[in-house]
Amino acid sequence: MKGHQIQSKIISMEIEVLHAVRQRTLDQFTEGPSVKESRLFFLLLPFFSGKTWSPDIEASAKTVSIVYAALNAHDQIREDTPIIKEQQLTVLAGDLYSGIYYQMLVNTKNIAMVQQLASAIIKVSESKTSFFEEEFRTVEEIESAISVIETELLMSFYTFYGYTEYALLAKQALLYIRYTEELNRLQSNHYSHFLREVTTKLVHENYTKYWLTEKLDSLHEQILASIADCALDYELAQFLLHQITPHQHRAEQLTREG
Amino acid sequence: MEKMKLKLLYSDLKPELDMIEKELEQAVDSESLLLNDASLHLLQAGGKRIRPVFVLLAGKFGNYDIDVMKRVAVPLELIHMASLVHDDVIDDSEIRRGRPTVKAQWNNSVAMYTGDFILARALEHITKIESPRVHEILSKTLIEVCRGEIIQIQDKYRLDQNLRDYFRRIKRKTALLISSSCELGALVSGTDEKTAAHLRRFGYFIGMSFQIIDDILDFTSTDEELGKPAGSDFIQGNITLPVLCARKDPELYAMLKANLNKNLSTEERFKVVEAIRNSSGIEEAKAMSERYLQKALRELSFLPKGQGVKTMRKIAFFIGKRKF
Repeated sequence: MKGHQIQSKIISMEIEVLHAVRQRTLDQFTEGPSVKESRLFFLLLPFFSGKTWSPDIEASAKTVSIVYAALNAHDQIREDTPIIKEQQLTVLAGDLYSGIYYQMLVNTKNIAMVQQLASAIIKVSESKTSFFEEEFRTVEEIESAISVIETELLMSFYTFYGYTEYALLAKQALLYIRYTEELNRLQSNHYSHFLREVTTKLVHENYTKYWLTEKLDSLHEQILASIADCALDYELAQFLLHQITPHQHRAEQLTREG
Repeated sequence: MEKMKLKLLYSDLKPELDMIEKELEQAVDSESLLLNDASLHLLQAGGKRIRPVFVLLAGKFGNYDIDVMKRVAVPLELIHMASLVHDDVIDDSEIRRGRPTVKAQWNNSVAMYTGDFILARALEHITKIESPRVHEILSKTLIEVCRGEIIQIQDKYRLDQNLRDYFRRIKRKTALLISSSCELGALVSGTDEKTAAHLRRFGYFIGMSFQIIDDILDFTSTDEELGKPAGSDFIQGNITLPVLCARKDPELYAMLKANLNKNLSTEERFKVVEAIRNSSGIEEAKAMSERYLQKALRELSFLPKGQGVKTMRKIAFFIGKRKF
């Protein structure tokens, strides 16, 4: 599959998600549903690499995207300040998207997937809340929470449909993207809960920067190995490396080798 | 006190409700200590457990099996709880039922994740029921409840809205979940379709009556009785039936308009509350609630006589007369 075909499928999925959750007032006052391109890419990865992909599976992938949009809406709520109309509607947008994902799965009689996703949401909510707990955590425990937040919904989809061969690659890539975002936040002094907690553990922000850079390099190596393990075709691997997890130096090297 | 009186009305359900209470506690059990605390905080604030009660009572018209009934009763209460914790973020409420809200005790984010967690637990529970019809009703209800809340925000501070807007809003906000509680209770106990339809309509009418009374009590009760400031609806811009009826008086209309969407002092708030209390709005709203109550009672008259109908009638009368 060519790069533009991959891109086009991702966009079409994004449009379908937008269409499924459309609501006039929400369209007017909120930023609307947001699902990262990287998550859509990994939801569609089995399709891109030629696995069995029925309309029911496609519908199911769409509902996972809607759950991502629901949880993302609730991440946008500011912590302590009284919230204004846009934020009030963002709270309800997240709740509405949750109702819609449930109804869509009910319509395709896929109650088992409702249960699978509900269990994943529970784990994600627990991990997100862990950043507000006061108990001591090691850096590994913080990493594990981030891993659940970034990948649990996708993993539940892969497990349900037997696409577990992509699980490792997807985990590495989604973590890579998250840590890249955290590095950018660190460099622009926009501290997230994750950065605050890791920096506390690592004593200084310079160590955090070093830790994140090391992590990114290591993950990039692992991604290259996993791409080979998954036997992704050249175009798909290139799309992943250039569009989803761009890592300039390594990517250039791979292109030359390719 | 009033809550105690209400509970006495369905005291014959006490063993089942105690079981549901335990199930609710187990359902919110989490590996996260904070989520556990926040959910229990919400659960222990109590509530009338109206939705589980209606599920159980509706089940009495069919093959009542508590192990089946609780699979519907527990998630319905969880859905209600999840919406409350998010509503407190939307309304910036510090207190609910006399206790700090989750958002006040922790913060908005913790409240958001607590709500997501509880809703997911509800869905996890309800998937134990295989009937597609149950899921169709529940998913539609969830969506409609959200739409009701969206409309509520859209209609905020609109003193010129019509009565139809108000009724449409409270139907989605309150009546639908109670109506679904009755219908789902009937369905999972295997009642015939006609009985289920009467129970659904009973739930709808009683839900409408219940919400109108709630909106009246927001003006007629004291801060202490409500466990939050009287007139909170008006302060938050929610234009309820007593205000919609009272606004016919031009003087009162001007006064309400002047006080809408303002940071009112306690004294100013009391003045607004007092003005509504002394207006014809309260009596008119009560009459409307009574009409819904009568419609609800009429639905009961079509049902087979028995303990279920007796208790439902007592609850309906109580709702019509409750003080807070």
